[in-house]
Amino acid sequence: MIFDVGHLLLITALLLAIFGVVVAFWGGHTRNVKLVASSFNAVYATFALVALAAVILWYGLLGDHFELSYVWNHSEIALPNFYKFAALWGGQAGSLLFWVLILTAFGTAVALQNRNKHQVLMPYVNGVLMFTSVFFLTLLVFAASPFERVAFVPADGQGLNPLLQNYWMVIHPVMLYLGYVGLAVPFAFAGAALISRKLDNEWVRTVRRWTLIPWLFLSLGIIMGSQWAYMELGWGGYWAWDPVENASFLPWLTATAFLHSIIIQEQRGILKVWNMVLIWATYFLVILGTFTTRSGVLESVHAFARSNVGVYFLVFLIIVVFSFLYLLFTRLPLLKAEQPIDSYMSREAAFLANNWVFAAIAFATLWGTFFPMFSELLTGQRISVAAPFFNKVNGPLFMLLVILMGVGPLMGWRHTSAASLRKQFVWPLIAMVVIGVVTYFVGRSIFASLGLAVLAFAAATIVQEYVRGLMARRATTNENYLVAMGNLWRRNGRRYGGYLVHLSIVMIGVAVVGNEFYQQTTNVTLARGEVVQLGGFDIEFGGMRVENESNRDVYAAQVTIFDTDSGKQLGEIAPSRNVYFKTPDMPTSEVGLRMTPIQDVYVVLNGWDDTGNSATFTIYINPLTMWMWIGGLVLMLGTLIASWPSPTRRRSETFSAVAYATGD
Amino acid sequence: MSLDPLLTGDPLLTDDTLLPAEGPQKRSVYIWQGAIVLVLLLLFAGLGFQLWRTNHAEQRAAGSAPAFTVTTFDGETISSADLLGKGVVLNFWASWCDPCREEADLLQANWERERENGIVFVGLDYLDQEPAALAYMEEFGITYPSGQDLQSNAARRYGIKGVPETFFINPEGAITEIVIGPITGQARMDTLLDEIRPVQ
Repeated sequence: MIFDVGHLLLITALLLAIFGVVVAFWGGHTRNVKLVASSFNAVYATFALVALAAVILWYGLLGDHFELSYVWNHSEIALPNFYKFAALWGGQAGSLLFWVLILTAFGTAVALQNRNKHQVLMPYVNGVLMFTSVFFLTLLVFAASPFERVAFVPADGQGLNPLLQNYWMVIHPVMLYLGYVGLAVPFAFAGAALISRKLDNEWVRTVRRWTLIPWLFLSLGIIMGSQWAYMELGWGGYWAWDPVENASFLPWLTATAFLHSIIIQEQRGILKVWNMVLIWATYFLVILGTFTTRSGVLESVHAFARSNVGVYFLVFLIIVVFSFLYLLFTRLPLLKAEQPIDSYMSREAAFLANNWVFAAIAFATLWGTFFPMFSELLTGQRISVAAPFFNKVNGPLFMLLVILMGVGPLMGWRHTSAASLRKQFVWPLIAMVVIGVVTYFVGRSIFASLGLAVLAFAAATIVQEYVRGLMARRATTNENYLVAMGNLWRRNGRRYGGYLVHLSIVMIGVAVVGNEFYQQTTNVTLARGEVVQLGGFDIEFGGMRVENESNRDVYAAQVTIFDTDSGKQLGEIAPSRNVYFKTPDMPTSEVGLRMTPIQDVYVVLNGWDDTGNSATFTIYINPLTMWMWIGGLVLMLGTLIASWPSPTRRRSETFSAVAYATGD
Repeated sequence: MSLDPLLTGDPLLTDDTLLPAEGPQKRSVYIWQGAIVLVLLLLFAGLGFQLWRTNHAEQRAAGSAPAFTVTTFDGETISSADLLGKGVVLNFWASWCDPCREEADLLQANWERERENGIVFVGLDYLDQEPAALAYMEEFGITYPSGQDLQSNAARRYGIKGVPETFFINPEGAITEIVIGPITGQARMDTLLDEIRPVQ
């Protein structure tokens, strides 16, 4: 009964969203204040209805209502409540509902924030966002209903995919969805600007923060996914260039490029078409990624339930792409650059180069992701391009990107003099050479040293900028260092927060280089009490132990780590395997990990004999990998500082409100 | 993919190159626009074709059958993965179960009729003793593969309510119907079998 109500709520939400689209576009076109007000109300009401439907599905999951096909397929009685809650986004229909929930929530937030601002743009922004909601609600009503029943009432569900029963895996999709869905907002503003022909810098200024926040979520989602792969999958790495991973990485690349290039549009009035294309490409890649991974068009280790949503996605994608192109092509004359670029030795030129590299990486990744599909279409054989292709092509491109990341902020707008260049680059270049030479003598790997040298260069430019900023503040205000730092962040958060984000990318780069070039690994079978040596560590197997939990058994090996030289005990870890009762032939791995900033000892339990007297392990020494997670935290901090409302910049919106009422 | 054409050319490309202007410049704008549209159309054609092929062999989302493996009383090992492409009638039974006796003849008769038509019957013996089970099979002359559901693994995963319970699984591995209790009559059986019959 209550689930019929849930389905009915979704149908009502769909109708309301369609109504919202119509009044938004019509009201925006005729500048009818009442219709526009109606579109705002439709945004709020759709959100309320979808939220209620989500609550009902949560009720079904937490109350073990297995008569719902979705609950039967993705939950079981013995599943801990935390995972029952998270099962809402554990499968196709539920995650689509979750998607609409986030989308309508974003729409409501945008509407509330801008109820009395941007009066030319907002009706269309509402319209574009609601149009996206219409699409997803159509899916929920016609193609993948979360409230579908099974013909009988099963006693218990089939359980959640064991791989998803991990804390990171619960948060990771939420972050990705927040990022993915949030990027619809800047796209909606871009669309609104095109439709209304109000193509000045207004939309660009407004979307900066609305892009930064989804970008932050997307970044964190990707990093958490890597962390999950690292901790859970047990192959010693964190990134495999799998189609689903690429699907999240592609919009990240274009969104990052967009975040940089809108700065140039704001400052110099150029690259207007390019920005439009970038934000459209970002949104396109979000939908394309969702489509390819959910329709089974690309094969992937990520198991999404397949269903017949593919056709709907393809149609939606075609609508989005061609309506946008039509708008863009017809409004090209209005997107004329206000001035040319003056010099190659300018910040805008460096930013432009950065955009090129981002686009090149995105293109290479897209190519590699879709190559298997096209090769199958043309030759009948599926030829996959594996990780080596991506590493070979994207590795050097990323290095170039890091160089530009260091160079860009040191350049002035319009033109940089030779004297200023010398002054700016002395210390970073010294840092680069020193780090390159030292790491070469320690690590003996030319490519790794090259990578680390470039990263050192970028890091040095950031440190130099911070030191200059702090000195300047202290010279005028006499503050102590901490206060001066706080004020830099508060008063010029965009700049100094941005540098922190750059620093976090350097940290992640350090982790990648360490893991890629300096990793050591071995495979061993150890009897109880036996020791193996690897990378300066003695690793001892102390026996097996079994723990019974509500829906699984945990088989853990007791492993102790000693320092080879001093013989000192460094720590105990417990690499283990979880055997779930519902899916006993799919045991999941829990890596035994001892993390330090220098290196991780990473032990995977492969198997054991029944007596527990011996066990087989794969052991990795992963240098510097912890910097990836530290980098993630710094990235979060930097983005928050960069997007925090600045105390000095507040704009009055009164004038534009008056202008709107008079039709100007 | 659409980004690439915009990126070729002058390294300091600004938006001017993309603006409709007079003469040859205007024509080059149209060429660019046409090229972008063409590339996207090709991409969508490829995606559409691939989707069509994928859907062709796709299971309905009704709920895919959980995996199971059974060693039959004859010592043969059967796993669900081997049965893809065939219709499967998965019957949970036990020798101590009286209602099971009601449908035993029907199951055996249909197995003999359908075994040439790509439909496999599999019996999973639930919480039973092997001698008693063998006696039961001899009593009804059961010849389709049947074996003990060790540790009730399959029963747990299929979430059975009791015995008998029968799952009808189509060639794509999706459950089309679940019958709790004995199957009543040949007509009902025919309807159920038609849903899982492989396309010949």
